[in-house]
Amino acid sequence: MDKKTILIVDDEINVCKSIERAIQNDEYEVRRALSGEEALDKIKENPCNLVIADLMMPGIGGIDLLKLLKTNFSEINVIMVTGYPTIKTAVQAIKIGAFDYIAKPFTPEQLRSVVARCFKSEEKIEKKPPLTNMPPGVYYIIGHTWVRPEEKNKGRVGVVHDFLKTVGRIINLQLPKENDTVIQGEMCAKIKDDAGFNYGIWSPATGKVFEVNDELKKDFSLLKQSPYQDGWLFRCALTDFEQDKESLLLSK
Amino acid sequence: MILKKHYDKFLKFPLRAKFTITFLFVICFGGVITLFFGTRIEHNTIFSLAQAKVRHDLASARMVYNEKLFDIRDIVRLNSVRESIQNALKNKQRESLYKHLEPVRTEFNLDFLTITDAEGKVFLRTSNPEIWGDSQSDDSLVTNALLGRTAAATQIIHREELLKEGNGLAEKAFIEFIPTPKAAPREKDHEENALALKAAAPVRDENNVLLGVLYAGVILNRNYEIVDKVKEIVFKGEKYKGREIGTATIFQQDLRISTNVEDENGQRAIGTRVSKEVNQAVLREGKDWIDRAFVVNNWYITAYEPILNMEGDIIGILYVGMLEKPYIDLRNRVMGIFTGIAALCVLLLLVILYAITSTIINPLNKLVAATNKIAKGDLSHKVNINLKDEIGQLAHAFNMMTDDLNKANQKLLQWGKTLEKQVEERTTKIKEMQDSLIQSEKLASLGKMAAGIAHEINNPLTSILINSHLLLEKTNDDPYTKESLNLITEETSRCSSIVKGLLEFSRQSPPKKEPADINRLIANTSTLLENQFKFQNIEVKKDFDPNLPNVKIDTGKIKQVLWNLMINAAEAMPDGGKLTIATSLSEKQKHIVIKITDTGKGIPKDNINKLFDPFFTTKESGSGLGLAVTYGIIQQHQGSIKANSKVGQGTTFTVVLPISSK
Repeated sequence: MDKKTILIVDDEINVCKSIERAIQNDEYEVRRALSGEEALDKIKENPCNLVIADLMMPGIGGIDLLKLLKTNFSEINVIMVTGYPTIKTAVQAIKIGAFDYIAKPFTPEQLRSVVARCFKSEEKIEKKPPLTNMPPGVYYIIGHTWVRPEEKNKGRVGVVHDFLKTVGRIINLQLPKENDTVIQGEMCAKIKDDAGFNYGIWSPATGKVFEVNDELKKDFSLLKQSPYQDGWLFRCALTDFEQDKESLLLSK
Repeated sequence: MILKKHYDKFLKFPLRAKFTITFLFVICFGGVITLFFGTRIEHNTIFSLAQAKVRHDLASARMVYNEKLFDIRDIVRLNSVRESIQNALKNKQRESLYKHLEPVRTEFNLDFLTITDAEGKVFLRTSNPEIWGDSQSDDSLVTNALLGRTAAATQIIHREELLKEGNGLAEKAFIEFIPTPKAAPREKDHEENALALKAAAPVRDENNVLLGVLYAGVILNRNYEIVDKVKEIVFKGEKYKGREIGTATIFQQDLRISTNVEDENGQRAIGTRVSKEVNQAVLREGKDWIDRAFVVNNWYITAYEPILNMEGDIIGILYVGMLEKPYIDLRNRVMGIFTGIAALCVLLLLVILYAITSTIINPLNKLVAATNKIAKGDLSHKVNINLKDEIGQLAHAFNMMTDDLNKANQKLLQWGKTLEKQVEERTTKIKEMQDSLIQSEKLASLGKMAAGIAHEINNPLTSILINSHLLLEKTNDDPYTKESLNLITEETSRCSSIVKGLLEFSRQSPPKKEPADINRLIANTSTLLENQFKFQNIEVKKDFDPNLPNVKIDTGKIKQVLWNLMINAAEAMPDGGKLTIATSLSEKQKHIVIKITDTGKGIPKDNINKLFDPFFTTKESGSGLGLAVTYGIIQQHQGSIKANSKVGQGTTFTVVLPISSK
């Protein structure tokens, strides 16, 4: 089996080194680049499977690099890393085609889980057809969560199938409690799979939770079986959905 | 021009003078006109009355005159039928005739009594028996009698006839003219003929055969019988201030031959002549003349009429006159009374005028005085005029006006005060806004800095976190190293969370607002806190206004604000105390006011202003971001927060949130 090649792009050498050390194992071949330009040169010379790039760099910045890669090397997955995370940049990055988005500072485990998910997604695409297709009329953050507006500014929230196909068998699920406030772009739930990874799930909208899916708590498998119906996570009263919509896509 | 100058001068006079001058002018003007016409009317009335009287008197005089004439006629007729006379004439007994006739002549005061024969030749002149034989047939009266008719008339008797009649008649008739200024000029300077009353009757025998004519007469020259009788009968001899009121005169032509008009010396004014006008009107034209006239030396109201002879020729004038002076005096007396009454009226009018102008001028003066007082600023001054007329209305209107002025002034004053207060309030507000702006600027610049710091610090933190975790993974069970690494990762995580807080603060993400019950939110927050250790000795008192409307807020952020403030309050009272949380509605019901009061150590004045500055802290363990974040959140809600404190007594934080916000 070929080793997966990962290119780390960050203008700080120490960060590069640290990330390299965090994900270094026998299965991956890790390389480094200290700028966007260098990264492009290296990829042209020797293609890779995954690029982990910092968002803010002098010269070709993270977003520019992402765009170039998605245009010229669409098969390469990209994970964006930033020291100044905002929902705006996160959503933007994912819309352009980043696999995921991690805020600094992070633990090795957090990074590893995303990288693992990334490679797993490649596998699934290769081996299996998608679990199911997204029904129309759903607002979503690519690769993360969806929200379906209901009457009186209420919304039902769930996880998109793209995300679920990158995780293993779910062994634990942490959901918010009633009356908790969830904020768009911030973590609202956590999934732990049989590989031992903890995956944070971003909330697609801001609001106050008023109902949690108790069925799901009893049977985690519902999530994968019916991500858009029985596998919903919680319902919340939306605070300002009109504004939230700006960072969301609408399925057709 | 001059009139205008006078009028301008008049306009400058005081009101009372104007009234008086105008009144006097009108009264005098009216008076003069009344007097003028009154005099005229009165004059005319008196004089027409006087003229009517004098006309009447003239008629009376004529009667007296004619009576005399008829007396003579009767004498002649009665004697002509005396048998003795007839027989004596028939028989030409001259002496017998004389004996019979002479006593008649003297008894009746006849100037002459003469008898002629049937041819008209004088047979006997009783007044002059020496002369006889001359013919009298030329005489109209004698001719008439010869024809058998008895007649009487006034006649001019010439001097030669007078001389024949003898008896000094020619001397009696002779009158020298006394120069009279107004008389018409005459060639003669004396009169030698006489004016006589004469009558003639035929004398017949028993067979009715004419025997002769008997004639007689009286010379009027210097004969005052008639005029005095007129005076006696008509005027009854009345005198006025020593002068005869009535006078009568007989003129021969224009010559006064018999009169009781007296001259300067008290003599009868014989010899003077009538004025030219009367001469013309009466003698020449034969008209009556009635008018006032200056007779000798006095003004008379006079009447003249012509005296005719038998043939109808004008030979003289009969005159009566009344002294004008009594009438003049009467008129003057009437005028005097009239003027006196007028003067009295003027006086009365002036008094009334004074009274009336006083009722106008006194209130006006009061008004002027009041206006002056008001002009000097005494707006409470009232005019005390209790009149019901226009002046009263003016005074009332004036009082109303001053009232309104006073009110308006009070309002202005009040407004001025309010304005001052408003300016003060506005100044305070501006100061607060400036403070707020400074605070905002501080926050904004801090936000930028925080973003930079977060980004820069997150990179080394990433390295530290990753590597410490990696080391932890590699560490076999060396407890010492493991503990050290755990501390490192924990502290790195703490750094990370501080940076996260900083970022959150700097980002100032827009609040997600939803309608919420503030009271419930406070209650929830305090319930959570009250169980904490810090609140062990603290009595929490909630003083909620139950009628607060819902407010659109970001509950999470406001909860954080409440949390911060309550924690701060608790930390200010380490030895226990009382925490009061009060909610209320602002005066204008547009804001909700939350007051969080502690009884802690208080905040020194110097620190109050820095309270909301980032990184300002007095606590050993504080980040200095709590109140800065609180401030930012309240600002995002378009609200305000401020602290009032007294050292040793406690602090009150007042949060004001708009009920309806964007």
